[in-house]
Amino acid sequence: MQPVIRLEHIFKTYGAGDTEVRALHDVNLIVNAGEYCAIMGPSGSGKSTAMNVIGCLDRPTSGSYYLDGVDVARLSDPELAHIRNRNLGFVFQQFHLLAQLSALENVMLPMVYAGTPYNERKERAAEALTRVGLANRLNNRPNQLSGGQQQRVAIARAIVNRPVLLLADEPTGALDSQTTQEVMNIFSELNASGITVIMVTHEAEVARLSRRIVWFKDGQVVNDHLAPQDLAQMTVTV
Amino acid sequence: MNIFESTKMAVKTLTANKLRSTLTMLGIIIGNASVITMVGVGQGAQRYASEQFESLGPNVLFIIPGSDEARSRSLNIPRTLTLEDAEAITSQVPTVDAVAPQLQAQQPITYSNKRSSSLVVGTVPDFLPVRDFDVEQGRFFTDEDVRRSAQVAALGSDVARKLFEGADPIGQQIRIRNLSFQVIGVMESKGAFLGDNQDDTVFIPLTTMSNRITGDRSPYGREVTFISATARDEASITAAQFQIANLLRLRHKVTIEDDFTIRTQKDALEIVGNVTGALTLMLAAIAGISLFVGGIGIMNIMLVSVRERTHEIGLRKAIGASQQDILVQFMIEAIILSAIGGVIGTGIGTAGVMIVGATTPLKAGISTAAIVLAVSVSGTIGLFFGVFPARQAAKLDPIVALRSA
Ligand SMILES: Nc1ncnc2c1ncn2[C@@H]1O[C@H](COP(=O)(O)OP(=O)(O)O)[C@@H](O)[C@H]1O
Ligand SMILES: [Mg+2]
Repeated sequence: MQPVIRLEHIFKTYGAGDTEVRALHDVNLIVNAGEYCAIMGPSGSGKSTAMNVIGCLDRPTSGSYYLDGVDVARLSDPELAHIRNRNLGFVFQQFHLLAQLSALENVMLPMVYAGTPYNERKERAAEALTRVGLANRLNNRPNQLSGGQQQRVAIARAIVNRPVLLLADEPTGALDSQTTQEVMNIFSELNASGITVIMVTHEAEVARLSRRIVWFKDGQVVNDHLAPQDLAQMTVTV
Repeated sequence: MNIFESTKMAVKTLTANKLRSTLTMLGIIIGNASVITMVGVGQGAQRYASEQFESLGPNVLFIIPGSDEARSRSLNIPRTLTLEDAEAITSQVPTVDAVAPQLQAQQPITYSNKRSSSLVVGTVPDFLPVRDFDVEQGRFFTDEDVRRSAQVAALGSDVARKLFEGADPIGQQIRIRNLSFQVIGVMESKGAFLGDNQDDTVFIPLTTMSNRITGDRSPYGREVTFISATARDEASITAAQFQIANLLRLRHKVTIEDDFTIRTQKDALEIVGNVTGALTLMLAAIAGISLFVGGIGIMNIMLVSVRERTHEIGLRKAIGASQQDILVQFMIEAIILSAIGGVIGTGIGTAGVMIVGATTPLKAGISTAAIVLAVSVSGTIGLFFGVFPARQAAKLDPIVALRSA
């Protein structure tokens, strides 16, 4: 089966000369469909840079990125926009909701760019918000919601177009432990429903919920192993 | 994303920033309103002046002293035309029907204790057919009156009203510069000619004017201010112009430069058309500049808006907006601003034109061409000044835009 993500010799450098920063240095990574993969590592190790490349928000300086077998470097702007819209869902640490729109309108936005008819948009946005437990907050503006609620709106927005891949860059970084738990439950449910999840996190507890942990250091993948409970499970099945 | 969605989104953004949107539109509103008003007023002036000259009749010729060059050199043109010139034209130019020399000056006029300072025109009876004037009451003076330098006067309707206040002026004695004149007639009202009130005028025999009031004699004879004449018909205007010119050159012994100019109604219309056309153009240009400034206002606001919304643009791209989606959204915002501004400006400009038309003699009319021009110019301005900021927004890298918060 085709891996969802295949990164081959990805380099990303910022600046030039004295100020050159090697954010990614020969990163190779394969993620298969249905995986729940945590990315960990010290601050500045290149996790966000890698996520942005995977999310087609940024282009690597060199190397190849195959998304579902397609070489992303060959795609045009409208093709990339289409992929970001239909195949990927991105959850940011800072939520990135539009302040002038209600929760429902924020979640409807990806479907606007998908060309979904208005009524279906409304219906599906409400569904997605219900799924993240915000059925009673549809018409609230972001500033009328708590941090955890805002992040759940952002998750609803990321999943509303039924992506195959959900990317989350420190989604619980700005949340307290209670809401972190709620948000993590949502990710587990989504993964259980078949969506591939890649999540950057600092918290070991959060990472433990995933099946696989990829460690970054100085722009490189230094360790890539399955989480302990899976190791245990595998030995049983083998 | 389709245009309908983009428009809805643009409207939402614009209404979220009502004050800013209104201020941006204001530039376009003022620009549009001024273009339409200015062009309307300019064309009104044009139409007014043209109608005035057309009312003289198509066969009229004006003979005025000095050549065009001489008039452009100095305002003080020697009076080279004489009563004798006019008589020679009458008797020797076969294509001319009637000739009316005029000698005129502003003079104090009194009747008992009433005073008026009015234009006194010394002329001949043919003045009536040539200039299309008529008496309302009494009579105009005759050739006999002219020959005898009779002290008789026909009053313009305003002068009659001012001096006699409704009483019958016929047979009364008025004084023009301390000379006594008998009122023999009152003229029909003619209104203004190019802003000059033609009813604030007193007509007396040209000889009387010349002998007793502002008499000046040149070597050629009795000086007159200018001469009007009518050609026999429209077809003979050119011939009449040519024959009069030859006759006057002969009489004035012209060798190098004519000391007179002959203008036909067509010439006059053309000159008036040129002058008022230039006026209209100038007004339109001034107004056009304000329209342009309005366009720059739109660009300025759009640029600020792109900068302010960089983060939003980044997010929209991250969830699936293409460059084209962003471009279209910002373009539509700019076009909506300029189109609504254009429509409001057109409304205000049209009202302005109607006010000018109703309160001044200018025949200010709403020009469809001006409206079409102003609205399409403001639409184009919206497009033109919207493209640059919109392209800037569209080209933003999604991750760079997202980080800019
Ligand atoms: N836009 C940028 N310009 C310059 N350097 C950057 C930029 N983004 C990230 N970096 C640098 O690249 C490295 C990796 O950053 P990042 O991927 O954000 O790390 P992490 O998410 O693991 O904390 C860091 O040294 C950071 O300073
Ligand atoms: Mg990071």
